[in-house]
Amino acid sequence: MKRTVYAWLLLGLMSFVFLPWHMTRDGFTSFQWLNDGSPSSGLFMVLEASNWWLIPTGLAFVASLLVQFFVAAPVARAKITLAIAVMGLFATVLQGLVIVVNGPRAFTGLLSGEIVQAGQQSMGIGAAVCLISLLFAFSVSLSQSGKGQGDAFVTSTIALIISLVAVFVFFPVMHILIRAFEVDGSLSLIGFFPRFFSSEIWGLNCLIGAGSCGPAINSLILATMTGAGTTALGLSFALIFTRTDFKAKKLLRILTVLPIITPPFVIGLALILLFGRTGAVTEFFAEMFGMEKTRWLYGFWGVYFAQMLSFTPIAFLVLIGVVQGVSPSVEEASQTLDADRWQTFRYVSLPLMRPGIANAFLLGFIESIADFGNPLVLGGNFSVLSTDIFFAIVGAVASPTKAAVLAVALLTLTLSAFMLQRMWLGKKSYATITGKADSGQNAGLNPVLRFICYATALPWAALTLVVYSMIIFGSFVKLWGYNHSFTLDHYIRAFGFDFSRWRFTGVAWDSYFTTLSIATIAAPLTAIIGLATAYLLVRQKFWGKEAFEFSTMLSFAVPGTVIGVSYIMAFNFAPIELTGTSIILIIVFVFRNMPVGVRGGIAAMSQLDKSLDEASITLGANSFTTVRRVILPLMGPAIMAALTYSFVRAITAVSAVIFLVSARHNMATSFIVGRVENGEFGIAIAYSAVLIITMLTAILILQGLIGVRRLRRTDRVQPSA
Amino acid sequence: MKKISAISALALVSATGAFADDLNVVCSTEQAWCDMMVSAFEEKHPDIDVQMVRKSTGETLAQVRAEAGNPKIDVWWGGTGDPHLVAAEEGLSQPSGVSTDGLLDWAKNMSDISDKKTVGIYAGALAIAYNADVLEEKNIAPPACWSDLEDERFKGEIQVANPNSSGTAYTELATFVQLFGEDEAFVKLASIGENVNSYTKSGSAPSKAAARGETGVSIGFMHDMVKLATQGFPLIPVAPCEGTGYEVGAVSIINGARNFDGAKKWVEFALSADIQSRSPEVGVFAVPSNASAKVAPQSPDLETIKLIDYDFATYGSSATRGRLLERWDAEVGSKAN
Amino acid sequence: MNNSINSNHHGEVRFENVIKRYGNVTALKGLDIVIEPGKLVTLLGPSGCGKTTTLRLIAGLEMASEGNIFIGGENVTHLTATYRRVSMVFQSYALFPHMTVRQNVAYGLTVKSVPKNEAYQKADEGLELVGLAGFGDRLPSELSGGQQQRVAVARAIVLEPEVLLLDEPLSNLDAKLRRHVREEIRQLQQRLGLTAVYVTHDQEEAMAVSDRIIVMNNAEIAQEGSPADLYERPASSFIADFIGDANLVNCEVLSAENNKGEVMLAGTKYAVASDGMTKGDAKLVLRPHALELLSPDHAGLKGEVSYAAYLGREMQYTIDTEVGQLFAIAPVRANSFAKGDTVSLGINENLARIVKA
Repeated sequence: MKRTVYAWLLLGLMSFVFLPWHMTRDGFTSFQWLNDGSPSSGLFMVLEASNWWLIPTGLAFVASLLVQFFVAAPVARAKITLAIAVMGLFATVLQGLVIVVNGPRAFTGLLSGEIVQAGQQSMGIGAAVCLISLLFAFSVSLSQSGKGQGDAFVTSTIALIISLVAVFVFFPVMHILIRAFEVDGSLSLIGFFPRFFSSEIWGLNCLIGAGSCGPAINSLILATMTGAGTTALGLSFALIFTRTDFKAKKLLRILTVLPIITPPFVIGLALILLFGRTGAVTEFFAEMFGMEKTRWLYGFWGVYFAQMLSFTPIAFLVLIGVVQGVSPSVEEASQTLDADRWQTFRYVSLPLMRPGIANAFLLGFIESIADFGNPLVLGGNFSVLSTDIFFAIVGAVASPTKAAVLAVALLTLTLSAFMLQRMWLGKKSYATITGKADSGQNAGLNPVLRFICYATALPWAALTLVVYSMIIFGSFVKLWGYNHSFTLDHYIRAFGFDFSRWRFTGVAWDSYFTTLSIATIAAPLTAIIGLATAYLLVRQKFWGKEAFEFSTMLSFAVPGTVIGVSYIMAFNFAPIELTGTSIILIIVFVFRNMPVGVRGGIAAMSQLDKSLDEASITLGANSFTTVRRVILPLMGPAIMAALTYSFVRAITAVSAVIFLVSARHNMATSFIVGRVENGEFGIAIAYSAVLIITMLTAILILQGLIGVRRLRRTDRVQPSA
Repeated sequence: MKKISAISALALVSATGAFADDLNVVCSTEQAWCDMMVSAFEEKHPDIDVQMVRKSTGETLAQVRAEAGNPKIDVWWGGTGDPHLVAAEEGLSQPSGVSTDGLLDWAKNMSDISDKKTVGIYAGALAIAYNADVLEEKNIAPPACWSDLEDERFKGEIQVANPNSSGTAYTELATFVQLFGEDEAFVKLASIGENVNSYTKSGSAPSKAAARGETGVSIGFMHDMVKLATQGFPLIPVAPCEGTGYEVGAVSIINGARNFDGAKKWVEFALSADIQSRSPEVGVFAVPSNASAKVAPQSPDLETIKLIDYDFATYGSSATRGRLLERWDAEVGSKAN
Repeated sequence: MNNSINSNHHGEVRFENVIKRYGNVTALKGLDIVIEPGKLVTLLGPSGCGKTTTLRLIAGLEMASEGNIFIGGENVTHLTATYRRVSMVFQSYALFPHMTVRQNVAYGLTVKSVPKNEAYQKADEGLELVGLAGFGDRLPSELSGGQQQRVAVARAIVLEPEVLLLDEPLSNLDAKLRRHVREEIRQLQQRLGLTAVYVTHDQEEAMAVSDRIIVMNNAEIAQEGSPADLYERPASSFIADFIGDANLVNCEVLSAENNKGEVMLAGTKYAVASDGMTKGDAKLVLRPHALELLSPDHAGLKGEVSYAAYLGREMQYTIDTEVGQLFAIAPVRANSFAKGDTVSLGINENLARIVKA
C-alpha cells in the first residue's frame, strides 16, 4: 500500500519533470515536442518561462515523497500525504482556471502581473498525469488514514468517478445552465423564477381542451406513457423469453435488438411511409374500408408510437437479466404454498422484479424526454422540451437563456422521476442470488398472462419486422415511396470499393471507420465506468451517495443538444481544450451513455446477495479481486447490456454529436442526418442498413465473447400445462 | 478530401485536432455540393488540405458562438444569409478583403450591410409548391398566389415551418410584411394559418412532406423544390403572383481563423464564375451570384419571378426580428392546434 | 502488510472497549472480550443483541467506531477484512454459484496467488476433511443443503485461518442434520485446534458446541462462562430464562449470608444459593427438574396439574400454583399424575438459585 502511493507520486514527479505540461500543437503521440527545442515540461515552464504558478504542483510531489521516506507511522504518513495531495490538486486546478490565454477566466481579480495576463495554453499530457497521480495519491492515502474507509480500490474508484463526473458532466453543463439565471450579465434568482414558471413552459390548456399544453407538460405526459408502455412491453418480452417455451425466441431476440441499433430518423421515416397520410397501410385501409386518410401520425400519437418502437428494447435489456435472476426456488416455494401460477407471479416474482421494472421505467422516461429525432420528424405541432431546446439553440432566434430555462425544466422532470423511483423501491432487499444454491424450475406463466404477453409482444415484433423490411427495401429502390425500381446505386455511392486500385471510393467510408473506431473505444470505457459506479452505489457506503447517484444520471438526462453546446463552451478553451479531436467524441459518448451501464448494473447487482462479496473478502480477496472474480462473472447479462448499449449509442447518437464532429472526425449519424436534410433518403437508408448489419454482427460477437452466466446447470422452465 | 486507404483508416482515431496548414471549412449546403467544392478547390490549390464538415446554419452559428475567441473553423460556406449576417453583427466573422466586383447587386448588398464580413454566393426565391397527385385526387385547383392559400379549399393541406425555429419561415414572414404591409401581412398569415396542418420546426420539412404527399401544399425555397421534383416526386413549384422574397446564400471567414490566407483563397474561389457555373452538376439549381456564371435551365429564372426588393438590413436585425416573431406568436402561432 | 504473528497470542481475539454505532443507534456499548486460542466460543443472544455485529467486527466487515480489536496480538482495528487472517462461514453459505465446488474451496488460496494445482490439491484435502471427497466438480446447485454447508466450512478452513467465524451456520438445516453437523464442526475444530467464534440464537446448539458462551443482550455482554456456569449459576433472570428452561418466581429474600439465602415462597422457607444477594425482593430460579411432584398430603407448594405429557423417558407437567404457572419435568413412574390432579411441589434446594428481580 505504501508502495502504491509511492508509485503514483513518483509517476507524477516524473511527468512534471519530463512530459510537456501544456497541450502541444501536433498532439502528444507525434512526439514532435521531444525535439522542437522549446521548454515544455512543468519543471521547464517554471525555470525557463517563469510560470511560477506551477511550483505548488511540483512541490506537492517532492514534499509527499519526502513524507514517504521520513514519516514512519503509517496513519500519520497517510494523513500528511493526504493533506499535501489535496493542496496540490487545489493549486493545480486553480492555476488552470485562472491563468488562461483566451476564453473565460475564473476569479478575474485574483492574480495579476504580466506573465499571468499573457496566460498559458491548455493543459497537456504532463498536467493530466500530474493531476491523476495527485488524485490517486490522495485516494490511496485516504484509505490508509485510519477508521477503515474501505480499501484503496474503493476509495480510488470513488475519487476517480467523482472527478470524472465533475470535469466531464458538471463543469460543461454548468456553462449552459447558468444562463438560466443570467439577467443583464449578472446572476439572479428573481429573473429565473418568472421565466421558469412561465405558462409557455407549463401551460395546461390541452387538459381542459383549450389549445396546446406547454412543452414541459407535453414531455411529461409523453415520457410517463412511454416509460410505462416500454416497461410493460419489455416485461412481456422478457417473460416470453424466460417463462415460456416459445419456439422462435432467437428471431424475437434479434427483433428486440433492432430498434436500438437503428440510426435516428429512420424509424420515423419508415413509419411515415407506412402510416402517413399516403403511407402503404393508410392507403390499404382507405381502399379496403373507405377509411379517411388522416394525418394522425403527426403529433402526440405518432411520437408515442415511434418511441414505443424505439425504446422497448432498452426496457427489455434491463428486464431480461432481472427476470432471469429471480430464483426458481422462491417461485417453487410459492407454488408449494398452494399459490397458483398467477398468484406466484403476482405476489412473488413480480415484486422481486421491482428493481428491474423501476430502472426500466426510469430509462424509458428519460430516453423519451431526451429523444429528439422522433418528435422532430413526427411531432407536427406537438412540441416537447427536447425539440424546443434544440431550436432555442440553433433556431432562427437563438436564445441560450430560453434553452437553459427549458433544460432546467427538463432536469426537474428527470429529477422528480428519479426521486419517485427511489421512493417506490424503498429500502427492501431484492437479492435473489444468495449463495445458497438452488436448482429448481422457474414457474411457467399462467395461460391468461401468457396470452397477454403474446398478444402485446408479437404484434410489436411483427410491426418491427415490417418496418425493417421496409428499410432494407428502401435502400434498394431508386426513390423510396415513388420509384420502386431496383438499384444498387445507393450502396455503390456510399460504400463503393475500387478493386483495381484497392481504394475505398464510397463517400461514407470515412465516417464509417471513424464511427466504428470511436464506438469501439467508447463502449468498454462506458461499461467499465458504468458498472464501477453501480458497484459503488450498491455495495459501498459513503457520504453523499444519493447526490452522487443523481449526478451520474445528469449527463443522460440533459438533452444532447445542450451537452453538445456546453462541451464546446467548456472544452474549447484552456485549461482543457478538446474540440476538434476524437477524444471529445469518446468522452461525450462515455459520459452520456454511462447511466445505462449504471442502471443495468444496479439492477443486476441488487440481486447478488451481499454475503457473496463478504465471503470473498473474508477469504482474503481485496475489492478488486472480488469484483473481478465474483461479481463480474455473475453479471454477464448486465455487462452485455452495458457494452452493447454503449457501443450502439455511440454509433446512433446524433444531437450531441452534431456540434462536436469535425472534418477529421465525422460521424455516421451526422452524415446520415445531412443526407436526410437534403432529401437524399436512398443513400441515408443504405448507410443505415449497413450500420444496422455492422452493429448486429458486433453484438453477436460480444455475446459469443461474454456468454451467459452459469448459475444452474440448466435453466429450465416448467412445461406449460 | 483525400481518399483514405484501409490502413490509414485504422489510424483515424488520434488525439490531434486542427493542423495549421489545413483549411477547416464548414459547409451548410447540400453534401454533394460541398464535396464538389472541396475537390475542385484542392485541385486548384494542391498545397492546401481542406477539412470539410457539413452542418446546418443553425448548428454552425451555435458552434461559432460557443467557440468565439478560439475558433476551430476557418471559413463558413453556404447556407442562408441571415445567420451569416447575425455572425457578422456579433463580430464572429471578419472581412475577407476579396473584391466583390462582377457580382450581382444582391450579393454586393450582402457584403455592404455586413461591413464586408459576408458575401452572397447564390440566391433562391421563396415559393409555394404543391403535390400534383394529391391535389388532383382531392380535386383542388393548384395555387398561383399567396392569397390563394387563404382559400377554404386548402383546409388542412398547407404545411409551413415555424419562423421561431426556421430561417426559411422567417424569410416568408418578412416577405409578407414587405409585400403587404405589417398589419395586412399578419391578417393574411393568420387566415392562411386556418389552413395550415402543422408548423414544422425545420424549414425544409414542408416541401419534403409535400413531395411525399403527406401534405398538399408547402412553402419553402424554390431550388429545394426543384431538386425534389428532379428526383421524381410530383412536386410543382409556383412563383406567387404577388411577388416573393428570396434568401441569399453566403460565405464568411470566421474571426480569429487560424488559416486566414487559405480562407481568403476559398472565398475568392467560391465567388469565381467557373465554380459557380458547375453547381447544376450536383443538382443545385440556385441562382449564382457571379454575373458571368452560367445558369442552369432548370434554375428558377429570377427575371421572370417578381422579386421584391428584400431589405436584409432591416429584417435581418435582431430588433425587427424579435418584434415580428412576438407578433407572429400572438396572432398566428397561438392559434395553431 | 507487516503481519508479524506473535506466537504467544496466535489465534487470540481481544476486544478493548469496542463501541459500534450506526448513526444514532448504538449496536455495541463498549465491549471487552478475550477469546482464548484453540477454543470455540459462542456468541449467544436474541436477535438484535449485537452478536452478529461482534462477529462482523472480528471479520473486518464492519469497522469499530471506538476501541481496539486485536487478533493474534496484532492490532487490526483499522484493517479491512481482506487483510485479517480470519475466515467466515455465512448463514447463507455464500457459495459462488458460477464456480464448481473445488473452485469455491480453492478460491481463498488462489487469490493469495497459490499455484492452481496446489490450491486444487488443498481444496480436495479440505473437501475430504468435511467428507465431500469426489464432489469437487459439481456446482453448488447440485448439492444438498447439508453438503453446501460443509463446502462452506471447507472453504473457510483450507486457508488455515487464525480464527474461524461461523454465523448461524446451521440455521438452514433440518433438526436432525443440525445435530450431526454441529458435532462434525466441533470435532473438526478440536482436531485442527482452531480458534472459532460461533454465532447462534439457539441456546441448545450453543451449549452443545461451546467451550465458552458469551451471552449478549441489548448491545452488551449479559454473562459469559462455560455452558455449566451459565446453566447452573445464572447471573440474572435474563440468563436464567435464556439458558435452558426455568421457572422464574417472585420471592422475598429474608436473609443472605455465606452465599446462602433464605427465601420465603408461599409461606415456606427455603435455603438456596444466592451469590451476593441482599435482603429484599428477588426472583427464584427453579429449573424444571428441581421441582418434585408429590401427592397433595406432602407439605409444600400446592397446585393443580393443568397439562401433562408423556415423552417416553420423562413426563412434562404444567402446574397452576398461587405463585403462577410452573413447568416441571419428572421421571416416568408408576404413579404419574394426570390433568386435574392436585399436587404438592417439593423444591430441590441445591438446584434452585435466587437472582435479582
